Amino acid sequence: MENIYLPKIAKIADIRQETPDVKTFVLRFEDEAAGRSFDYKPGQFVEFSVFNEGEAPFCISNSPTRKSGIECTVKNTGKVTRAVHELDIGDAVGIRGPYGNGFPLEELKHKSLLFVAGGIGLAPLRSMINYCLDNRNDFGKITIVNGARTSKDLVYKEEYKIWEKAKDTKLYLTVDCEENNWTCMVGVVPKVLEQLKPTCEGAVAIVCGPPVMIKYTIPVLLKIGFCPEAIITTLEMKMKCGLGKCGRCNIQHLYICKDGPVFTYSQLEGLQYEL
Amino acid sequence: MLKELKAISKELLKTKRVDVILAYKRASDGVSAMPCFIFEEKDIDKMILDSYCVYNLSNYIKDFPDKKIGIVAKACDIKSIIVLLQENQLKRADVVIMGIECHGVIDEKRLCPGERPVQDIGFNEKCRSCKSPLPAFCDYLLKEEEERGKTGRASEGDGYASIRKLEAKSPAERLKFWEEEFSRCIRCYACRQVCPLCYCPKCVADQTDLAWFSRASNLKGNMSWNVVRAIHMAGRCVACGECERACPVGIPLMELNKKIEKDVKELFGYEAGADAEQKPLFTCFDKKDPEDFVK
Amino acid sequence: MFKAVGKKAFMKLMDSLSKGYEIAAPRKFSNKGVFYSAITDAGDIYLGAEFTVEPVKKLFLMPSEWLFENRFNDGKISLQGGVPPQEARKRIIIGVRPCEARGLELLDKVFCSDFKDSSYSKNRERSIIVGLACSKPDKTCFCTSLGSSPAETRGMDAIIFAGEESDEMMLEIITDKAREIFAPLEDAACEEHRKKLESEKKKIKDPVRKINIPDALSASFESGYWKEVSSPCVSCGVCTYLCPTCHCFDLVDEERKRLRCYDGCCFKDFTQQASGENPRPTKRERYRQRVFHKFDYFRKNFGEHLCVGCGRCIRHCPMKIDISEIAANAPKNK
Repeated sequence: MENIYLPKIAKIADIRQETPDVKTFVLRFEDEAAGRSFDYKPGQFVEFSVFNEGEAPFCISNSPTRKSGIECTVKNTGKVTRAVHELDIGDAVGIRGPYGNGFPLEELKHKSLLFVAGGIGLAPLRSMINYCLDNRNDFGKITIVNGARTSKDLVYKEEYKIWEKAKDTKLYLTVDCEENNWTCMVGVVPKVLEQLKPTCEGAVAIVCGPPVMIKYTIPVLLKIGFCPEAIITTLEMKMKCGLGKCGRCNIQHLYICKDGPVFTYSQLEGLQYEL
Repeated sequence: MLKELKAISKELLKTKRVDVILAYKRASDGVSAMPCFIFEEKDIDKMILDSYCVYNLSNYIKDFPDKKIGIVAKACDIKSIIVLLQENQLKRADVVIMGIECHGVIDEKRLCPGERPVQDIGFNEKCRSCKSPLPAFCDYLLKEEEERGKTGRASEGDGYASIRKLEAKSPAERLKFWEEEFSRCIRCYACRQVCPLCYCPKCVADQTDLAWFSRASNLKGNMSWNVVRAIHMAGRCVACGECERACPVGIPLMELNKKIEKDVKELFGYEAGADAEQKPLFTCFDKKDPEDFVK
Repeated sequence: MFKAVGKKAFMKLMDSLSKGYEIAAPRKFSNKGVFYSAITDAGDIYLGAEFTVEPVKKLFLMPSEWLFENRFNDGKISLQGGVPPQEARKRIIIGVRPCEARGLELLDKVFCSDFKDSSYSKNRERSIIVGLACSKPDKTCFCTSLGSSPAETRGMDAIIFAGEESDEMMLEIITDKAREIFAPLEDAACEEHRKKLESEKKKIKDPVRKINIPDALSASFESGYWKEVSSPCVSCGVCTYLCPTCHCFDLVDEERKRLRCYDGCCFKDFTQQASGENPRPTKRERYRQRVFHKFDYFRKNFGEHLCVGCGRCIRHCPMKIDISEIAANAPKNK
């Protein structure tokens, strides 16, 4: 019987500094067969082990259509993420996964997609955005609203030009406050969304960001006319096993690791939860 | 005593002298007691007072940080309130102590499961060497109306008889004794959570960054946890006995804590929770401190 | 099939079986309580009325267990899985109460379903469960309100009826596994013993308490009730660790090993996030989570309540908090 807690060994192939405290790590499995058979959907996550330090869940931020390895974007926040940030190219880490439900790709086909991201919340959405761009004809209009506290905190900057140039795709960037040399929008994401008033016709909104951003963005989307089934978000709680056994990451009867992390707002609306 | 207690409590709430009263009520089994928190006069009748009122309610003082508290307390409970005052965890004006006369509380572990007859109850170990049925430091002193017959206090000397037995063992025997006891520890931290003086916002055992001891309930981790906690209690533990009572696997924690209490008495001439004006033992330095034991 | 046997003959059989099987059973430690222990001398087996402190769960989902070890040789990391219990011997566990056996069935839903937990599953496979009917249910027991009873045989391979005073014991064989190991004991005349068994079962006093767990607990989620009932709780781990069905755990790296150890929703740091956020900062949220997990969420996910009514949490709670009363008295709405 397989040991479900045993990670597979992967090596760090590349590290990119996104912001002062965020790095993206590109990982490749040591065993090539494991790499080939690692099949995942955008929105899923892996449990990333730094041996002797600990394990933490990170979403896979590259699209499965681009088999460059597994990319994890990590913010330096606590014990494990600090250890992750101290890793070098060539270091061996452990990967368990993919876990979680991922985005509902079939249901999203032929819809227009409004991606709303705050800070590092762009990480899981990047996987979906690039998946859509690689399957461009399967999806309608794509609008991306991406905000951060300051321009230094924006992630995946090198992708923006590519996204802007893509067919029928619009990108809006915003920072919380005025800045020198900043030519894009100013204001927190929910306020910017109110200004932009993107159409809800045939569209699905996909939101990810810090809890406070999600809390204020969803009412704006509802006001614009998105119905609860057409609002998707990915949630985060403290996770350990990633498999629905350790009992930690639940919101009511739903486990973020097993029933999520992707949820429609209609699933969450009825739940009174602690967030 | 109960009637007087209820009257005083009613008055304290009515005049808003306190925001909450920490008291005892009957538990669901109809026999034991349970802590209760009374915010309104109408709930005062829930209060009870008998030998089942084992708990040290001063443990709940930390749950009401900005409130004025009235507390029903036995002499042993009041000692921990004194330490909280010494350590600036509590302002004197924020607590109204209703001290009750107590001649012993029961030892639940000596009762059989199932029926619990009130008449034939075994008294708690700590009561056997108790010198103070009447609390000295309190705002209200509630005395019994009648003379008590059977009491749990059988002046058993200084209460260190079992400690001396342990001291007489060789270090190897003592280590074997404690290893056997700590091997049963399940790291539930009940000992810490019921202790009024374990109030660290982040306990050393819960720190993960760095992790000071193993989280596993193996002997090494268990020894580390229990010994470190005992040392953190040195000079502060008032031997209220709650930790040993709460321990589900029967580890004799009081042997360890009382041994340190005995050492502190012999080395420094200090007793925890005796005098609210005294400073905590290990926060002070005096050139005249005894040091003949420093070799 | 029944075996009628004296306790001495039973112990003798256990002693001979201990050569080929690991034997675990309750053992009484004076002044401390009754604990499941590895048995080398069958005379240590305790089959009296007192309940074990820790449930049999600890022999399947261990309080701490290492899942793998990492080694660094010649510049390469290699991982070695934990000691596979399949290499360990077959095991006979004696004296398991009906509530504890029920508890294992509930844990199976978590650990033997998708993403099968190999360590737990192998422990289940190698164990033969010989239960013990409860002759004296405790005042805190309420198993009959949760689909069990003092003589329930679900989840067992065999069950013992033993009086504390008499030397006589009755053994009911339920599965083939038990048939095989108890073959050396003489069969008892079926009809006569079934009648005797029925009268034994009647003698067992039904637990006094019947608790009605409400169907729609969720309506009370926002009620002030939870702040009130959670106030005596001291946020320790006694109820969680002694519960036959609680299974929350932590994964932590220590000394080159990945360790799994017990954890509980009662602890303040259980849901503490590195960002500083904690969705359950006070006892109100944490105690409510415990009650809801047991009497609402688990049923939504698996069809049954995550409680077997053994009463351990009430007996051993330092503050005598009674979760059965708290759940039964939950308000019908906000």
